[in-house]
Amino acid sequence: MNFDARKYVIMAFILLVGGIYTIRLFYMQVVDDTWTLRAQEIAEKRKEITPPRGVIFDRNGKKIVSNRTYYNLMMVEDKIKKLDTVAFAKLLGWTREEVRNRFYEIRKGEGKYYNKHSGKTTSNYQKIRAYPFIKELTLEEISTIAPHLENFPGFYEEVTSMRNYPFSNGANILGYLSEATREEIDEDRFYKPGNNIGRSGIERFYEKELRGIKGIKYVVTSALNNAIEPYADGKYDTTARQADPLRLGMDMLIQAYGEQLMQNKKGCIVAIEPSTGEILAMISAPSFDPNLLVGKRNISLNYPKLAIDKNMPLYPRPLQAEYPPGSIFKLVQSLIGLQEGVINENSGFPCDKSVVGCHNHAMATNIQAAVQYSCNPYYYAVMRRVIQQNKKKNMFADAELGLNKWYDYMLSFGLGKSLEADVSGQRSGVIPNAAYYDKWYGHHRWAFSTIRSISIGQGEVKLTPLQMANIAAIIANKGWFYTPHFVKSIGRKGPLPQYKVKNYTKVQSKHFPPIIEGMRRVVNEAGGTARMARIDSLIVCGKTGTVQNPHGKDHSVFIAFAPIHNPKIAIAVFVENSGFGGTWAAPIASLMIEKYLRRKIKDKEKEKRIIEAKLSNIEASPNENQNQGD
Amino acid sequence: MRKNDSIIAQLDWPLFITYMLMLIFGIATVYSVAFNPEHPNIFDFDEKYGKQILWLCVSLFLGLLVFLIDSDIYRKFAFPIYLFVLSLLVLVLFMPPINGARAWIGVGTMGIQPAEFGKIAVSLLLAKYISELSVKQQTIGNVVGAAMILLVPMVLILLQPDAGSFVVFTSFLFVMYREGLTFDPIILAIINSFPGVKMKYTWVGSHFIPILFVAVFLSIITLLLSSVEVDFFFLPSKVSGATGVIVTLILFAIVALLFIRQFGTKRDRSRGTLIIVLGLILGGGLSFGVGAGFSSLAPHQKVRIELFLGLKEDPNGEDYNRNRAMAAVGSGGLTGKGYNKASVSSVESNHVPESETDFIFCPFAEEWGFLGTIVLIFMYMFMLIRIIIIAERQRAAFNRIYAYCVAMILFYHFAINIGMNIGFAPVIGIPLPFFSYGGSSMMSFSMMMFILLKLDSQRKDVLR
Repeated sequence: MNFDARKYVIMAFILLVGGIYTIRLFYMQVVDDTWTLRAQEIAEKRKEITPPRGVIFDRNGKKIVSNRTYYNLMMVEDKIKKLDTVAFAKLLGWTREEVRNRFYEIRKGEGKYYNKHSGKTTSNYQKIRAYPFIKELTLEEISTIAPHLENFPGFYEEVTSMRNYPFSNGANILGYLSEATREEIDEDRFYKPGNNIGRSGIERFYEKELRGIKGIKYVVTSALNNAIEPYADGKYDTTARQADPLRLGMDMLIQAYGEQLMQNKKGCIVAIEPSTGEILAMISAPSFDPNLLVGKRNISLNYPKLAIDKNMPLYPRPLQAEYPPGSIFKLVQSLIGLQEGVINENSGFPCDKSVVGCHNHAMATNIQAAVQYSCNPYYYAVMRRVIQQNKKKNMFADAELGLNKWYDYMLSFGLGKSLEADVSGQRSGVIPNAAYYDKWYGHHRWAFSTIRSISIGQGEVKLTPLQMANIAAIIANKGWFYTPHFVKSIGRKGPLPQYKVKNYTKVQSKHFPPIIEGMRRVVNEAGGTARMARIDSLIVCGKTGTVQNPHGKDHSVFIAFAPIHNPKIAIAVFVENSGFGGTWAAPIASLMIEKYLRRKIKDKEKEKRIIEAKLSNIEASPNENQNQGD
Repeated sequence: MRKNDSIIAQLDWPLFITYMLMLIFGIATVYSVAFNPEHPNIFDFDEKYGKQILWLCVSLFLGLLVFLIDSDIYRKFAFPIYLFVLSLLVLVLFMPPINGARAWIGVGTMGIQPAEFGKIAVSLLLAKYISELSVKQQTIGNVVGAAMILLVPMVLILLQPDAGSFVVFTSFLFVMYREGLTFDPIILAIINSFPGVKMKYTWVGSHFIPILFVAVFLSIITLLLSSVEVDFFFLPSKVSGATGVIVTLILFAIVALLFIRQFGTKRDRSRGTLIIVLGLILGGGLSFGVGAGFSSLAPHQKVRIELFLGLKEDPNGEDYNRNRAMAAVGSGGLTGKGYNKASVSSVESNHVPESETDFIFCPFAEEWGFLGTIVLIFMYMFMLIRIIIIAERQRAAFNRIYAYCVAMILFYHFAINIGMNIGFAPVIGIPLPFFSYGGSSMMSFSMMMFILLKLDSQRKDVLR
């Protein structure tokens, strides 16, 4: 057989591949511009300019979060010529070793690229790229260095901006910034290594609103990646735009005052304007100076100390602490009882101490008195009627039906679910429903008597302080609320749309006046539990709570609103391990209310007593935190 | 003097000049890509361009040696050379692994890769083995014997592991095909083992190797294009990659049919039409099947195949190389960015790893554009066809077979290396002959070329 003809098959093969490749190359190089665009993207001929972050004002127009200009000392290794390390170290106030280590650290910090295919490892570090040699220098620091930089080619200063807090308050609500992580950079192309991102609180929730728009400069680069000239005379360049300022509903005066009142105590204060849902103040004690977490240098210095502090200053208690509400829960129970029709305004129950302990008081013959005296047996009776409505023959099935109905009421009060305020890291609290107890005891294995402690706000029920304050706001509004929120307006726009929606509870407004009357008596009538919250010629309505704490002294809690007509402020105060609600939480609330409505305090003795009190087991800080660059 | 004259007269100058041109282009590209402003001298031996020139000198010296030695030695010593390289391939497995593979003997820059020289050794022994076969070639024994010559070094190379060289060794199957050592006898034996079947010849069996390779080529292109959409100007909307391959096949078939109608004889016409139509149906069916089969796979299976092909969007993985290489090539445009102006693929900018070795086509294509790449492809086409012409003019079967081996090895390197730069081949790192930086590859390809030139120059002396 002759195989000579097969040479044509092989030649055809070669020419075919050559032909296909030519067509493909023509398509890739001449016709299709996708790859050209991709190459522009890769070669990073874009230079990004990050604008300063949006500033934040309080409700009275005080600038509470601003930016301060800092300087980075940048370095391009390729341009460094004959570096006199001794002189350079002297300029920086470093040792020669520190300078040398810093070079090594930058190179190491860039990581390595491992080529799986060839198995070669190359450093991501590039001599021709600019890296920050020292970050976040203050004006004073750079002004000693900058004049001499001309002797050190390859080094130059770059302007950057960082947060600055004129008031040292609201740290764990405002949140802080830190460098974007690898994952965040991969997820959102806005961020580049070294860029900051909102890490917690309002900064995190409003990250997109605050970060602004980056400016882009296109430059033509040579093979050596040196910028040669602006691309197309800057035709495609865009300028960086700072984000519109945020205006908070927060009043910095009472925020600061609240933090002063809460010093040397553990707990929190949340104040809301009932008519708008704007949060006026949110104090988490103990707190810290937000300036401690500005910039990489400060964070690496201070964050570990704050994190190990036993008083947990980083913990945003108003959002994340879930406490049993205690007696303040009776307000909601009363409203549900009235709405369900199982009691009426004039229902009376004997104070039967054999069921549950109570203090000595006259018998509550109506709901106002029950609120005023905070009678425990009364609320057992109310709750029993709510849960066991005798709608089903089986007692267990009846309890299941009743509890789920009760649960729906609770949800409508914003309890048992996250309130979705505009701040990151909120918890939802706990409101048990039938499914919850089924898990514990089994289906139809529980009834009212099993779960009765929830009727007085103990047991499984847990609320966050924000939810407690929202209850006060609901009662002040007689049955509805705007979801509590911090930001009143973003630039010229109002708050986010979800904060313009009125949420109605399942309790009609006609049931509220008797409860409000009860709350008025709590503060203003003899036999009320919160006489210490009284303010001259201002009617405060409130309710105390004393939360049994198996781990130590009881927690003191108080919610209130004022004035009684057309309320301007609703407030919740929670003081851990301080005892009876009327003793600590109530006077703190009244001072806050007075400060907000009158701007000054009449009863100086009351104020002094609170400020000087050293409650709880506040531990001494391990060592004083330092704030660098401020 | 007379002898020298004869060498100059007998040397195949077109091939030699193409070879030298490619080397010069290669060194120029390495100089541009790896340019270090601190060592601007092209002869600076601290830099890759200087080293490459050094390797060129060594290669030319080796070429001179080849020309001084009698060409008979290659035939006579083919088997010892083969055994020697095999022993190196075994020895290399006991070397410490460098970059994840035990491919190098020696230390640092002075190391050699036995696999590179394995290509020469196998070429020589295969040429000797096939040329010495009796006339009756198509037996199972002969096919298996030739296959064993390939298989032993291939297994050793797979142990290193070196996927690139392994794939390149399959190029010898084409040489076997040219020499008639197809798998037809084996396939016939299998078919005839069924009772009642008695066949003497199968078309598929005879052309098993090219058919197989067309199938593999089509499948890989279909898979590589599975995730993209292709836009044909004459079609109303974008189509999927697999459909795009089928459309391209139809276009090729139409062109081929017109060609045959115009130039073919009557007999050719009917036969050619049949082959083209059948080929179109089979090829289209294959692309369709592969495309449909791939899209019906479970996600995790898809990912494995995509990872293998280097398609997975993994910024630090294989696709990183492929994607950036394609960006560099595509951004060249018609006329390129100019010499020394590669912004994506320069070593300094470091966007395309290995841009001076396996991905050297990138900076070349980026700097010279389509005009440069078409010249490069033309040079390769010219070189490969020239080698086949040389092969066919040999009187000795040994020379012819050896020449085919060289042609097919270079063809493979060309097809895979350029293919991975334009998204037509998975990224298996093999160098672009005469262009890529690297001593072992330059020396082994040069040796291969010089042995061919030597054999060719003495073709008239060999009268047996």
